[in-house]
Amino acid sequence: MKRHGIALAGPLALVLAVFFLAPALLTLPTGFREYVPGQGITAGSWTLDAYRDIVSDDFYREVLWRTLGLGLAVTAICLLLGYPLAWMIARGPAQLRMPLLLLVIFPMMLNLVVRSFGWIALLANRGLINNLLTDLGLIAAPVKMMFNLTGMLVGLVHIYLPFMVLMLVAAIQNVPRDVEAAAMTLGSTRRHVFLAITLPLTAPGILAGSILVFVLTISALVTPRMLGGPTYRVMATLIYDEYMQMLDWPTGSALAFVLTAIALAIIWAANRVARRWAVT
Amino acid sequence: MEMAPGRIATWTAWAVIVFLQLPVLVVVLAAFSTTSYLTIPPQGWTLAWFAKVLSDPAWLGAIRMSLFLAFGATAIALALGTAAAYAIARRMVPGADALTALVMAPLVMPSVVIGVALLQFYALTGLRGSIFGLLMAHVVITVPYIVRAALTSLAGLDGALEEAARVLGATGPEAFRLVTLPLIRPGLVAGALFAFITSLDNVPVTIFLISARQTTLPVLIFSSVEMGVDPSVAAISTLLIIATGGILLLAERRFGFHRFI
Repeated sequence: MKRHGIALAGPLALVLAVFFLAPALLTLPTGFREYVPGQGITAGSWTLDAYRDIVSDDFYREVLWRTLGLGLAVTAICLLLGYPLAWMIARGPAQLRMPLLLLVIFPMMLNLVVRSFGWIALLANRGLINNLLTDLGLIAAPVKMMFNLTGMLVGLVHIYLPFMVLMLVAAIQNVPRDVEAAAMTLGSTRRHVFLAITLPLTAPGILAGSILVFVLTISALVTPRMLGGPTYRVMATLIYDEYMQMLDWPTGSALAFVLTAIALAIIWAANRVARRWAVT
Repeated sequence: MEMAPGRIATWTAWAVIVFLQLPVLVVVLAAFSTTSYLTIPPQGWTLAWFAKVLSDPAWLGAIRMSLFLAFGATAIALALGTAAAYAIARRMVPGADALTALVMAPLVMPSVVIGVALLQFYALTGLRGSIFGLLMAHVVITVPYIVRAALTSLAGLDGALEEAARVLGATGPEAFRLVTLPLIRPGLVAGALFAFITSLDNVPVTIFLISARQTTLPVLIFSSVEMGVDPSVAAISTLLIIATGGILLLAERRFGFHRFI
């Protein structure tokens, strides 16, 4: 039995050890190497320079805070926009359920680059929205909506909203309808039923959806690159630039480690909270 | 009495649905438009951009490369992942929980970090720019979906069915092929579909590993957009939209795909 098990699981374990675990562990020491511009990495050196830069340098700090702020903003907007839609899917007319669900899943399955490209066509200076507003005589000069916070927010919300909606649909479906009906029979207003029953009972789903969206947002590379451009940077695009353009691998590695640590810490903390809720 | 959505919630929900489809509509409109930038209503209709894309060796090469990677990675992940999931579900391996955690780790790790880790590793081992290296990277990022789907399907399965087959004289592999496999097939198909789309979609890992000669479709779209918006990008994107929509509808008709998400 044991022998069969190892024969079955062994190949996958080996592939993951070689092509995932080993590369991830090998990247860690790079962050402690010395980098000399123009010459590259000094072999055998050990230094904390890269990490010190991330903590003390204003540029890196700004990117770090921007990434986290963006994560919070995207999560909050996804929650606000996603809850009504999830509610509609879970509790609205039965014949609308399936079409609505498919209209949420379809953009989610669609290529990320294609979706960001769609937003570029809409938000660019000569894009659809600016052209429309100019033709209607509402604006004289194009409004800048790309390569800044607006573009990034719109693009990221669009990409991660379906994840939030699907999580919330599952949570709302799990709320026993009798409890809500009982409260209403006893004279509660809709508003009070929502605040006192529906919302607290869906809290685990809200937490799970928020964590998922936040972690995905702070790790995003494609959308921030396409809608934020080369200058308005976040952690992931900065890691890309350090590795591919600056060739400063130590700084890139240190940034990658910080990003991973933040993501893992948040997931760990959320799991603890969820477990505590499950107990009480 | 029922907590049906009120008027404000209903309107917000519809607005969000429109918001979600908006960029898709814009891309499709742009692909058929004669002007190189978008106007509403479009100035004229043409299929020229599709003809241009489908006769360009760069786009065709990228499509071929993407399909090869997606089919190859899904097939390898399906074989390795199903075998491993079976061993995990039946508690046939020591450290099954640790193995599950290792398989799922690529979902938790930011993609860009997997990308740079493999970049460094491949630079060290001489695999940089190789198709083999790229294929294995795609196996790593797609295999969690297969294992998760297989584990869920196996958990909902009565182990007695397979034992019955064994008692009636089937060998282990026969019992798996004739009894277990047909029962977990819907879950596996859904997992494979997810894996396929994940591979076809991937930029953040792929972009670190491709060579200048071979590129994948999303990476080529990505780098073309950085050069400037061009209707042929809209045309190729429209082809992807049609393919995705078609696959989704087919999967929904065949086995209710939404149940597996």
